[in-house]
Amino acid sequence: MNSGFYDIVVIGGGFSGLMAAITLADEGKRVAVVSRGNPVCCLSTGCIDVLSGHEDPIRGIAALPDEHPYHLAGEEATVRALGMFSDIMAGANLPYMGDVHENRTIFTPLGTQKTTCLVPRSMESAHDHGDDYFHVVSFRGIKDFYPSYIMSRHARAGSSVYDAGVSATSAIAERFEDKTFLRKFISWLKGLDIPAGSIAIPAVLGTRSAPLIFDEISREIQRRIFEIPTLPPSMPGQRLFSRLKNTFLARGGSLYWGRDIASVERLGDQIEAVTIASAGRPSRVQGKAFILATGSFVSGGLYATMDGVKETVFGLPTYLPDGRSTWFNDSFFVPGHAIEKSGIRVDSTFRPLHAGWSNLFVCGSILAFSEVMKYGCGHGLAIATGVAAATMCERQV
Amino acid sequence: MDSDFQHCIRCTICVENCPVFTVNPEFPGPKQAGPDTERFRCDDEKSIDTWIRLCSQCKRCEVSCPYGVSPADIILKEQLRYSETHFRPLTALLFARTHALGAVASLVTPLVNRAASLRLVKYILRLFGMSTYMPLPEYRFHTLDRSRRRKGKRKSPRKVVFFYGCYLNYNRPDIGRGIRDLLVSFGLRVVMPKQVCCGLPALGNSDFDKARRYALKNAAVLADYIDEGYDVIYACTSCGLTLTHDYPGILNVPEGKKIAENTYNLHEYILKLMDEEYLKLDFKPVRRRVAYHIPCHLRALGIGYPAALLFEKIPGLEQTILEDTCCGLAGSYGFKKKNSATAMELGKIAAAALQATAPNAIVADCGACRMQLQHFTRLPALDPSEILIESLRPKGEKP
Repeated sequence: MNSGFYDIVVIGGGFSGLMAAITLADEGKRVAVVSRGNPVCCLSTGCIDVLSGHEDPIRGIAALPDEHPYHLAGEEATVRALGMFSDIMAGANLPYMGDVHENRTIFTPLGTQKTTCLVPRSMESAHDHGDDYFHVVSFRGIKDFYPSYIMSRHARAGSSVYDAGVSATSAIAERFEDKTFLRKFISWLKGLDIPAGSIAIPAVLGTRSAPLIFDEISREIQRRIFEIPTLPPSMPGQRLFSRLKNTFLARGGSLYWGRDIASVERLGDQIEAVTIASAGRPSRVQGKAFILATGSFVSGGLYATMDGVKETVFGLPTYLPDGRSTWFNDSFFVPGHAIEKSGIRVDSTFRPLHAGWSNLFVCGSILAFSEVMKYGCGHGLAIATGVAAATMCERQV
Repeated sequence: MDSDFQHCIRCTICVENCPVFTVNPEFPGPKQAGPDTERFRCDDEKSIDTWIRLCSQCKRCEVSCPYGVSPADIILKEQLRYSETHFRPLTALLFARTHALGAVASLVTPLVNRAASLRLVKYILRLFGMSTYMPLPEYRFHTLDRSRRRKGKRKSPRKVVFFYGCYLNYNRPDIGRGIRDLLVSFGLRVVMPKQVCCGLPALGNSDFDKARRYALKNAAVLADYIDEGYDVIYACTSCGLTLTHDYPGILNVPEGKKIAENTYNLHEYILKLMDEEYLKLDFKPVRRRVAYHIPCHLRALGIGYPAALLFEKIPGLEQTILEDTCCGLAGSYGFKKKNSATAMELGKIAAAALQATAPNAIVADCGACRMQLQHFTRLPALDPSEILIESLRPKGEKP
């Protein structure tokens, strides 16, 4: 078969969907990813939160409630999946550092520290900073990055501002891809005469050749340097996404991007095909099996109405915690709003419960009980369930 | 007024994906130029967005938006509105008429092609606001207009109309004739009726009326053929996007929906014929290592990358797909002096990305992309059909 006929069709081009797609493409399957647009991981810090509340995030999985989807993947498979992710990134020239059994911290633009697990090399040395002096280098006109916020939380810190000629994160990052610009920046940095200590820079150090730019600056300056992820547009998130997507393409995958699903073709207990909306004739994408990875509310996989929560592609039955009156908290910032529990319930093979589809698998933050904000496990869960659902799916096809 | 801008949650994914924004700080980016400012625009006030013409209409914002907003469409409408009350430079008037330009230039090709390379002429062109960092495309006398219009078995059950577009017609008719003959070798009846520009250059240069006139002219011809059972084929992805997206959309052509439903990308159509088991193709090896630059408008079509699927079947052909960079030329956009710095900057970025894969040729479905990338990489830039023809050897040529 030729056009539009695949072994597996993954709906949703986010972190979980792409991990599932790469897993299957590696097994020699013909895989297509259908995505409405770019995923929310583009807006993220690019770091992999596995489980933020425990020193050892993998050990912490055991303490999660029984229904949490991490248990479906299991500790061992989660460790393997995270290893697979690290291998993919190393191969895609964006190496990730850290130990899956140990959480670490990075800096935020507010000067606070965020707990995470695996980080791109450019954020590795932000961990365990202690009270050392550090110098924040910012860029003229850059939005939502104020060194004074960071300095207000750290007694021993200084700052300098570089004029890159442009002020948007993506524009500065593109300038860093230019060797002449990079050399000028390095010589400016050398001339600053910064007291001993480390140097923090907003995460704008390049796009395609990001780690190399970071490496060159580190080598030239001979200091501990780290990037601080910015508010969106977030270059580390963008780097992560483009590496994942391009890895999938390089392994023979097909992309259908930027359009809604117009309709679903069903036959018996099987999903046969989906069609993709267009101004004219919808494109048809057929698969032997389907993986749903459309994410939660922000990504549009779930949609809330006054009557309940809808799954937007297949209309799968959703779980919603009982009694809206119990959803209220005294404080706005208490983690764990009940609505975070809503989503798709699946059996041990990642097939949706009470739906009757034999060739449909679900992964990522659309899974019920995932509560990724509460547990700080968004990307880790995306990787673990993406790979696990793909493995289940592969056994079937 | 379109209300889809209300779905924007200001996530900035479009900003991350705007090529112009990354190199030209004068352009505020698709979020601000599109949905953000749209809330303050009002039909009875004249447009004041002096930077609105800096958008190249690559539509990468639209493809990347996860919430179904089309910043590019919002911006296009504002570009049209801006031109109602503002002076349209000479270049815009000229490029809106690429069709007429080609028709005249192709008549006097030796003269035009030689003149275009003269220093004095380049100087004059720059005075008129054109950029000359890259030679203008050469024009050909033996255009597709002047080629055999009907070919293949008259009784063939599969009949297609080939909408070739201005670039293949005036600048690369050899590619157009190659595609015609390839389709004929499949046993198809191929017709290349009289046609005019698809209308995109007029739309991009803010001449809505001209764009619509062109569209109506083409639509009348294409709709008649569709009624007789023909399918419409395009090779240029920007023409294709205009036929399927803008004819039923902004240009509001009455037959627009019918045309959109019956129009196919060339490679998409070949795959369809293979799926229907009408075609069984015997792909011969092609020893090439190509970097396949996905044109922005192919991405925007939402049909996947059909030529890449065909390439997978060609033994010996190594392809790397690159879809993250815009070539920067964007049709006539880069030929304007005020955009040339942006176009050159983006061209260099795209060229570097392609060269990093160490190819011996570049492939792109769009003539403008090919011109720009060939200029910046000094590598041969081919239309996907040229690779197919090498592999299928429809005329029985030896490799």
